[in-house]
Amino acid sequence: MAQPSKIRSLADAVALIKDGDVVAIGGHTARRHPMALMREIIRQGRKDLHVVGWNNGIDMDMLVGAGCVSTVETSYVGIGSFGLARNFRRACETDGLRVIEHSETTAMDRFRAASIGLPLFPSKTGLGTDLPSTNPHLKPFTDPFTGETWMAVEAIRPDVAIVHAHTADEQGNVQLDPERWHDNSPDVMIARSARTVIVSVEQIVSEETVMSRPIDTILPRTDVTCIVEAPYGAHPCCCDARYDYDLEHLGRYHEATASQSGFAEWLADYVTGPADHWAYLEKIGARRLMEVSMKRTTR
Amino acid sequence: MATNDYSLAELLTVCVSRELEDGGQGFIGLGTGGRAFTMAVGVPSVAAELARRHRGIDFTTQYGVTFEPDLKKTPANFADPYLLAWPSKAQVRVEECLEYFRRGKMTVGFTSGAQIDRRGNLNTVCIGSHDKPKVRLVGPIAQSDHCTYAKYTFVMMVQDPRVFVPKLDFRSALGHGDAAGDRRRLGVPGGGPRKVFTDLAIWGFDADGDMRVETLHPGATREDVVRTVGFDVVFADDLGATPAPTPEELRLIREEIDPEGLFLEARIA
Repeated sequence: MAQPSKIRSLADAVALIKDGDVVAIGGHTARRHPMALMREIIRQGRKDLHVVGWNNGIDMDMLVGAGCVSTVETSYVGIGSFGLARNFRRACETDGLRVIEHSETTAMDRFRAASIGLPLFPSKTGLGTDLPSTNPHLKPFTDPFTGETWMAVEAIRPDVAIVHAHTADEQGNVQLDPERWHDNSPDVMIARSARTVIVSVEQIVSEETVMSRPIDTILPRTDVTCIVEAPYGAHPCCCDARYDYDLEHLGRYHEATASQSGFAEWLADYVTGPADHWAYLEKIGARRLMEVSMKRTTR
Repeated sequence: MATNDYSLAELLTVCVSRELEDGGQGFIGLGTGGRAFTMAVGVPSVAAELARRHRGIDFTTQYGVTFEPDLKKTPANFADPYLLAWPSKAQVRVEECLEYFRRGKMTVGFTSGAQIDRRGNLNTVCIGSHDKPKVRLVGPIAQSDHCTYAKYTFVMMVQDPRVFVPKLDFRSALGHGDAAGDRRRLGVPGGGPRKVFTDLAIWGFDADGDMRVETLHPGATREDVVRTVGFDVVFADDLGATPAPTPEELRLIREEIDPEGLFLEARIA
């Protein structure tokens, strides 16, 4: 037994996150955000988090609404075709929530630089805009070769990265189904930039399964702190080719967040009410989960 | 066919199509929902296909990570699993799709915003002060990238004095800056906005980067334009009428390219 098991319970994994931490979130728009981990962050009552992503939706909005967040850093927070993210909007407009503004490339460049061991990444984006007035991680510099002005995007070292993937073995080798891992590639940079990396997966698989398809491993175990098994752990976001967005649920969320009290009810129903992820899945119901399923996999 | 026997979306499609260059590459974002979808996704998509079929130009479309999808097999729903199965020439990694901008390969980026000023600078971040905004919007998205790197951008938006403003509340994407030559001075590689397509007119930019009305759509008047814009409107000396679609262009759009109105009538879920 040279390699210890990295499997942890949802509660134990999330306990690694401390109040005030910089937390990076995997996934983008309404795709494969680590929602089970995020619901547990709310259950455990984390405060004062600096939450970073590159393109966010219900994930960020829910954490903000639950009062876990003091700083948001990303390029987008919205609920897709439903419209603006209403908790986020309220927090900005009423409480002056701090937002560090990025374009999509500069948001990714912070992770990109850190993930390949660089202190910064050069960019042209942001020059001539108001982004740097909100963002201390964008600073102009002069290219020593050409004398041209560039924007330096500072590497980020999040305290914790949370990512949702398809499978992992006990030792923490994380895999994605090959059909769609192209669109998930920023998650690799996000994970590799962080000090602590928590990965939830649809299912734990055997070492043999991983070894039979090593090309599908996106994060070898040295990149990973711990693994949490959370089937449908991205719900109501989509999980690539496995399950679709739960548009009905996202719509209900968007409606509920029209008011603070509506969101409080939604939180009680779907986050703080259910004791854990399994209770959440029961609340959503097998019928609904099967309806959004695209590919029903078995162990 | 009567002069007005076409929709605004068809008119804009034809106008955009005529501007596309042989050998060009255009980036079309993916989004869903009503009029914004028609302006941002529908019009550019059909325009590119029309340019290929009607004028025989070689034009590459890029929808986020997806290159040159088969419009005939456009899914009726843009949810992820359907996009994944959309037959196309390539799906690149998501962090690579914007590198086509950085490398200077992108001819045209299609953009929009909640506010635009007379220099073509855009705001998608907030109305009011950034620290405590009156309305918080979605954020810069990839628009700052489009506007930084694309050879030029086409801005698609509906005229309203709250949208066409004298001063942006937040500049999230650079147009022609504050004064002539700003982009070069700042070291920004792309050319900035070239045209603004609206529900009333087509705007261009003079050599100094100031916006001016170049053509009025059939039925629109100078007064309509002035009433729906919050800054002083300049009309080009040779102000003309936006040329109407030809019967052949309309036939191609309606019968061959978008027969079910997926794009121009925003029928994609």
